Amino acid sequence: MLQTFSYVAPDSRKDLLAILNKEGTRAKILAGGTDLMVDIRGGKIAPAFVVDIKKIADLKGVSYSATEGLSIGAVTTCIELVTDKTIVAKFPIIADAASRLGSTQLRNRATIAGNICTASPCADLSCAMLALGASVEIASMTGTRIVKLADFFTGVKTTVIKADELVTRLIVAPELVNAKFGMEKLKRIKGHDLSLASVAVVKTGTLLRVALGSCAPTPIVLPDFPANAPLASILEVAGKTIKPIDDVRASKEYRKMMIMTFIEQIILRL
Amino acid sequence: MKITLTINGREYTRDIAENRTLLRFIREDLGLTGTKEGCGAGECGACTVIVNGKTMNSCLMLAAECSGAVIETIEGESESGELSKMQQAFHKHHAVQCGFCTPGMIMSVKALVKKNPKPTVHQIQEAIEGNFCRCTGYTQIIEAVQAGTDQRDEQEELRRV
Amino acid sequence: MFENVPDNGLKYVGKGVDRIDTVEKLTGKALYTCDWLVPGMLFGKIKTSPHARARIIKIDTSKAEKLPGVHAVITGNELDYRMGLYLVDKHILAKGVVRHFGEAVAAVSAESWEVAHHAIGLIDVEYEVLEAVLDPVEALKEDAPLVHPDLGKYDHVREAFTPVPGTNIANRMKYRKGDLEQGFREADFIIERRYTNPSVQHVPMETHVSIGQWSVGDKISIITSAQSPFTVRNLFAHSFKIPHENIRIQIPYVGGGFGGKAGIHLEPLACCLSRKSGGRPVKLQATREEEFSLLPCRSGLVYNIKTGVKKSGKIVAQQMTMYWDAGAYADYAVNVTRASGYSAAGPYEIPNAWVDALTIYTNKPFGTAYRGFGHVEFSWGIERHMDLIAKTIGMDSLKFRLLNAMKPGSTTLTGEVISENTGNVTRCMEAVAESINYGQLTGAEKAREKKTGRKIGKSVVALHKAPAMPSFTGTSVILRMNENGSVSATFSLTEIGAGTYTSVAQIIAETLKFPIEKVHVPIEIDTNHDPYDWQTVASKGLLLTGNAAILAAIDLIRKAYEIAGQVLRASQCDLDHDGEKVFLKHHPAKFVPFSKLAVGYAYPGGNGIGGPLIGVGRYCAQGLSNLDKETGQGNPALDWTYGAHGLIVEVDPKTGAYTIIKVASAFDVGRAINPAAVRGQAIGGMIQGLGTAMFEGYYYDRAGRLLNPSFTDNKIPTSLDIPEEVDAIVVETPQIDGPFGARGVGEHSMIAICGALGNAIEKAVGANLTHMPIRPQDIWKALQTGAKPDSPGISGDVVNFAEAPLCSTRRDSGKHKKR
Ligand SMILES: Cc1cc2nc3c(=O)[nH]c(=O)nc-3n(C[C@H](O)[C@H](O)[C@H](O)COP(=O)(O)OP(=O)(O)OC[C@H]3O[C@@H](n4cnc5c(N)ncnc54)[C@H](O)[C@@H]3O)c2cc1C
Ligand code: FES
Ligand code: FES
Repeated sequence: MLQTFSYVAPDSRKDLLAILNKEGTRAKILAGGTDLMVDIRGGKIAPAFVVDIKKIADLKGVSYSATEGLSIGAVTTCIELVTDKTIVAKFPIIADAASRLGSTQLRNRATIAGNICTASPCADLSCAMLALGASVEIASMTGTRIVKLADFFTGVKTTVIKADELVTRLIVAPELVNAKFGMEKLKRIKGHDLSLASVAVVKTGTLLRVALGSCAPTPIVLPDFPANAPLASILEVAGKTIKPIDDVRASKEYRKMMIMTFIEQIILRL
Repeated sequence: MKITLTINGREYTRDIAENRTLLRFIREDLGLTGTKEGCGAGECGACTVIVNGKTMNSCLMLAAECSGAVIETIEGESESGELSKMQQAFHKHHAVQCGFCTPGMIMSVKALVKKNPKPTVHQIQEAIEGNFCRCTGYTQIIEAVQAGTDQRDEQEELRRV
Repeated sequence: MFENVPDNGLKYVGKGVDRIDTVEKLTGKALYTCDWLVPGMLFGKIKTSPHARARIIKIDTSKAEKLPGVHAVITGNELDYRMGLYLVDKHILAKGVVRHFGEAVAAVSAESWEVAHHAIGLIDVEYEVLEAVLDPVEALKEDAPLVHPDLGKYDHVREAFTPVPGTNIANRMKYRKGDLEQGFREADFIIERRYTNPSVQHVPMETHVSIGQWSVGDKISIITSAQSPFTVRNLFAHSFKIPHENIRIQIPYVGGGFGGKAGIHLEPLACCLSRKSGGRPVKLQATREEEFSLLPCRSGLVYNIKTGVKKSGKIVAQQMTMYWDAGAYADYAVNVTRASGYSAAGPYEIPNAWVDALTIYTNKPFGTAYRGFGHVEFSWGIERHMDLIAKTIGMDSLKFRLLNAMKPGSTTLTGEVISENTGNVTRCMEAVAESINYGQLTGAEKAREKKTGRKIGKSVVALHKAPAMPSFTGTSVILRMNENGSVSATFSLTEIGAGTYTSVAQIIAETLKFPIEKVHVPIEIDTNHDPYDWQTVASKGLLLTGNAAILAAIDLIRKAYEIAGQVLRASQCDLDHDGEKVFLKHHPAKFVPFSKLAVGYAYPGGNGIGGPLIGVGRYCAQGLSNLDKETGQGNPALDWTYGAHGLIVEVDPKTGAYTIIKVASAFDVGRAINPAAVRGQAIGGMIQGLGTAMFEGYYYDRAGRLLNPSFTDNKIPTSLDIPEEVDAIVVETPQIDGPFGARGVGEHSMIAICGALGNAIEKAVGANLTHMPIRPQDIWKALQTGAKPDSPGISGDVVNFAEAPLCSTRRDSGKHKKR
């Protein structure tokens, strides 16, 4: 990078949190770097410290327990999500979403926590994780807290995390294990592109949940529907909730139409 | 800071600037200029190298992160003095025009074939979607990968009517 | 030349031999300018304008100058040079005013990229923002601000171009053929519509990069990623009033050009920085973002076409008005306007025609040459229009095209008569039509429609293009024989990826009757050592350089025979040769090997004769003329390469999403010197054309700031964006003055594919589009409203200015009246 900064790579959570605590906003966490490096290069941010969290062993790994559900370590990469046996077997929507993110090179780097912390309205994993009703575990020197992902985003590219905090893992409760799912992502090209509108749906015997991307300042989730909710009522709620924008990527009308079309396609499929 | 890493089987220890990208480290500090920069922003794949077995955009990585890593670049492909099988296929099938995307492309293809020795056309397309090529229109690259994986012999014909 | 040599007598010409440059490229050993380091080299960075049009009130460079590691900071104030290919209108750094977003206003050289970058951030520029002219049609209004108030004072090439001082018109071209009014009177239908497309970036994978050194005694040395070494030298010499021989241009491997590297770009600034840095070499490299706005793009176009046609389908009159949105500087755009003007109707004969083509200044990044040189842009309009006419008069659109196609005896817009040897556009159309089963859906296609719920449409379009170049364009080739009897060829075309070097090597091997392994063609160019070539543009390289190569080979053999004749004590007419030796025809056992002749023959006693063998070939375009300024009549075309595309698309009528199932492309290349390379050009250009057709293009906000100067929002086709199937076809009608009958095809594959896509989409779902790129949302919108879509889907703060004039005037589908 042409910008100068110091690189630190603590190998324990404790050291990391101490650095964050000390440096505050002067420090930025580096996971896969696929957003962070782009932002530094573009002059959007200018951290004095880039804090690599990939050397911390307990931020890695995927596990499942019947009580807590699925736990995904912060630095789990998209490629790991795509190939992880537990995820593919129990929560395939995560693998599906991860497989849609960027190109192979990016998927080999980009992490789940990075995707969520970037808090882009078009983040693919965020959308899927919202549909799963995921929670985010956040740590700081003062302790750990758990926040529902639905409450995590506060605006375009802003979240509830404070400068001294770290996302340590994502948790998906066991209720939605083996749920049916569907996901669609609108792109400008058939190759890798950011989402212009996306829909992720999960469905169990009793519940149907719809999360939407690129149609509001943050990824959003609609209130839960009963499994047998009529399509029309889902579309109505969606139509009232979304506020897509016009920009160089797409018009708001087209975004809206595609969201509706995707919802319909997925619901009819499930 | 000091890092030690392995590139194309050779170990390097270097004092580096902490903001050095892996791409610039490889190109400017080690003089391995085969790896290219096309955007510096993770989009084009010209900078693709293989890090611990996986392709990555070296423009978005710091050299500092790579201490201990095992890295493969285009320069490692023909160290024996001969083109690798895949390079030969690219040569035979006119899969190279200006050549600027080629090193990154070869890296992506190498990683693909290691995992999947007989990729389908669609799998080839997916494996190189992160490697932009402005010249070839990809067709002859895909054909070369098929040839390099023993799924095609002859050059596809230009039809004369 | 040698156009009638039968195929079976040829060893290399016509064979898909391996390229001579790929091994270096495949192993990472090919050095591009971006890879070069020169001892003592400094690193340069450029401060660019955030405004489209503004007065520069003050530039404070003091903080930057004080930064340790900075060697020089320069601004426009201290540089009094103007550059320009045809119209000298551009300062090296903005002087007093900025004329487009991204324009260079100051530059720095420093000991590292980091320091240079930091220093740029320390330069403060105070601007007074002025109202910008962003729409080319609005720019013609009397009260429009002038982008260049001093236009009347600018030097320009008077024989070819006509700027209109006091306006924003950088060049006005007129073409007049037949009697337009009479033609319209004879017409049964008159059909008029307007077509638009935005500016587009070339996107070579290697961005522009130059290393410049200005040493004592005005000795200039430049290593650069340029397409045209001698043009860089010539323009540099003129602007800086430095003798040509003082200037050395070296071109290493080039990572793509597509026209964007044809003129002179970063070279002067790198050299000025070097001069101010005590003569140390300075490297400047555009970032990808700078590539989009600091460096040139392709002009946008608003194209109005009004056609008179008989019930029989014969076109009798056509009036064409082109508003080229050149951006802030004329660069190649004035010549794009000229060349597009004389091709403006496509490969169709129009007995009575008017073309008015204007190059218009606006406050946007400027346009330059881009593969197709205007033809991609206007072919969008022409080919959409051809379908509109066919639909209106109730005729099949392929039949309609074939009826009006150029044939032997037809005349072009400038009065050139087409002959049997010009090429065969009819055959191209028929070949692609057959390849895609034009006019019907196959059983498999019907089944596919049923399965997907999508609709399939097919189209055939045609195209032509001639090189746009000075009437006396010349080139040269030198062939030197090496000690072992092999030859090394030098010439100054640049190998920007098209494979021309391999084709020229094949031509040399064929002419010499040498094995191709004995023909060496170094890729790098150096104007200090290599002979002149005008530029690597216009698809003229193979024809002109190929001919010069043949002449050089003949010359080399003649000189070898001169000496061999003495050695063998025979007259030259009794000699023959193969790849190894010159021998007596009637007594082949008497011979002298080339290796003995190569650098001077030594008799057994030690006496020498001959000296090193060098063959020289030079070739100049023949029979071309300037165009009459009032009527455009004359002969500008070295050769016409014809072609056609057939396209099958599948469209979702609900969302507008589409997939291209197949593209078949056919070109009359005269002779395919290297079929594999021709196929590469055919497919590569076609996909690049599809990029333009499907999603590429610039978006601005109302203040003229470019909104998408990066790959994040300026997509190019990836490996997943190609058609499911491609078919590359050649027709071979030999070009009489082409090497072995060949003509150029580098650009043609990109032309008209946009129209093919638009027409096939209309056939599939009825979306009536007049603006490209064609995004699914545009199709959807067109189907929603039954009308033309808005400016690319953008409202609020963003508009596409090429499109804007349509809002008030003709914005719905073709208005036509029946008489
Ligand atoms: C070319 C390109 C294409 C892309 N395509 C897509 C796409 O298709 N879909 C998509 O969703 N995204 C896409 N992205 C965006 C990006 O790749 C993803 O958002 C990715 O998941 C980010 O993860 P990362 O590990 O690289 O994050 P980083 O860049 O390392 O971090 C991102 C941000 O999160 C912070 N952060 C990271 N980890 C933590 C943590 N554990 N706790 C607190 N803060 C943290 C960082 O400080 C930074 O601000 C693309 C990016 C590029 C460059
Ligand atoms: S240079 Fe790294 S992805 Fe383009
Ligand atoms: S060969 Fe030129 S970019 Fe791929």
